[in-house]
Amino acid sequence: MHQRTVPCQGYVAPQKIEEVLEILSKYGKEIKVIAGGTDLLVQYYDRLYEINHWLDLKNIKELKDSRINKNQMEIGAMVTHTQIEKFEDIKKYFPILIQAAADIGSPQIRNRGTVGGNIVNASPAGDLLAPLMAYDAQFRLLSIQGEKIVPAEEFFIGPKKTILEPTQLLTQIILPLPSEKTYGCWIKIGKRKALIIATITLALVVEMAEDNKTVKDVRTCLGSVAPTPIEIKEVGEKMIGKKFSELDFSQLGQIVEDKVSPIDDIRGTREYRKDVAKNIMINALEEIDLAYGGSINE
Amino acid sequence: MSKLIIELTINGKKRKVETTTSTRLLDLLRDDLHLTGTKEGCGKGECGACTVIMNGELIASCLILAPQADGAVITTIEGIGSSDHLSPIQEAFIETGAVQCGFCTPGMILAAKKLLEENSHPDEEEIKRGISGNLCRCTGYQKIIDAIKLAANRLPSEDGGRGEEDA
Repeated sequence: MHQRTVPCQGYVAPQKIEEVLEILSKYGKEIKVIAGGTDLLVQYYDRLYEINHWLDLKNIKELKDSRINKNQMEIGAMVTHTQIEKFEDIKKYFPILIQAAADIGSPQIRNRGTVGGNIVNASPAGDLLAPLMAYDAQFRLLSIQGEKIVPAEEFFIGPKKTILEPTQLLTQIILPLPSEKTYGCWIKIGKRKALIIATITLALVVEMAEDNKTVKDVRTCLGSVAPTPIEIKEVGEKMIGKKFSELDFSQLGQIVEDKVSPIDDIRGTREYRKDVAKNIMINALEEIDLAYGGSINE
Repeated sequence: MSKLIIELTINGKKRKVETTTSTRLLDLLRDDLHLTGTKEGCGKGECGACTVIMNGELIASCLILAPQADGAVITTIEGIGSSDHLSPIQEAFIETGAVQCGFCTPGMILAAKKLLEENSHPDEEEIKRGISGNLCRCTGYQKIIDAIKLAANRLPSEDGGRGEEDA
């Protein structure tokens, strides 16, 4: 194996982001970036691959910051799931992101696991990925060449595969603040509540027009039903411009069932996942119907 | 695999340990410091037997590289109570019969401690969520939940002993 000496004795935890980028530009392929380690170390100790050099992000303070900046929310890549759960501004604007973070693993895992790690790990079952896509997330990627901002749907290209280059670092997640008349629903299906890798997840975000009756925009995103988290755009064609009370929920559920492409695996069969995709879509629409109270006011 | 020296504060004592970049915090605690109250169950962060409190947070010590714990403040089960003076949580576990084989108990006690620090009178659902990262194969959990409720009623609380009105 090609071996070059990385001048950090196997482990380095820089204080500054510039140092991280410098190290990545020189040794990107030979060094592994570690955030919370809740996925990476499970794989490492299973000996799925050898890692000789670690680049730990634990000391980079700016990666742990979250704030509202003008009309968008910026979440640092090293923010943990526990921190997401407790963040008032995220609760206010992105409630289903909180619900998804709260459904991850266990207290022990949520205390260590990070948003950035969930994204870069790029498991098709990553719990935060469908909600982030549903909220139109963009990812800020930094390298010594400069920064790139990439929409979530372009970032994931396959199971555990992303467009992130070895010299790049994911530093921030950017979410546009939704309008007040935005409603969301998060559903995670698994064999138990704690510590389960999702069999299927759904993040549905519906934005109503000024009248609070007509659908202005919709994002239907699912996890664990395709090689990457996906959006079912065809749902939008049937919903946008229509009154929510006039929607045919079972027809919309059928579209979701038809458009997902799950596999058979240890967590569920393809057939089961297709059935459940339809049913949770209907449940999510019913929940949003209740939350916004549209049909009550008709 | 490279060697390095890390410094950490464990149960109030500063310790300097020579370790490697691929050593787990769990192994450092058990093999290097002989703090064997911390157990290894699954080694994948799912069972909670290796739970310790690091920098004020409940974590699975099987999923921490030793150098990641450099500079950390850690509490293990050895730092809770003593054989002469058990903590109220430990006493409650004994009284309710929440200890059977005992393998999950160190992790359970630490999870209970963190839970009660953040929420002095958790309801049953909150208790279940607080220990959701800790598996027990003996008790069926009910006695552990009872123990945490009992401990909550006994711990000094800031809200004037709301615990009495439970049940």
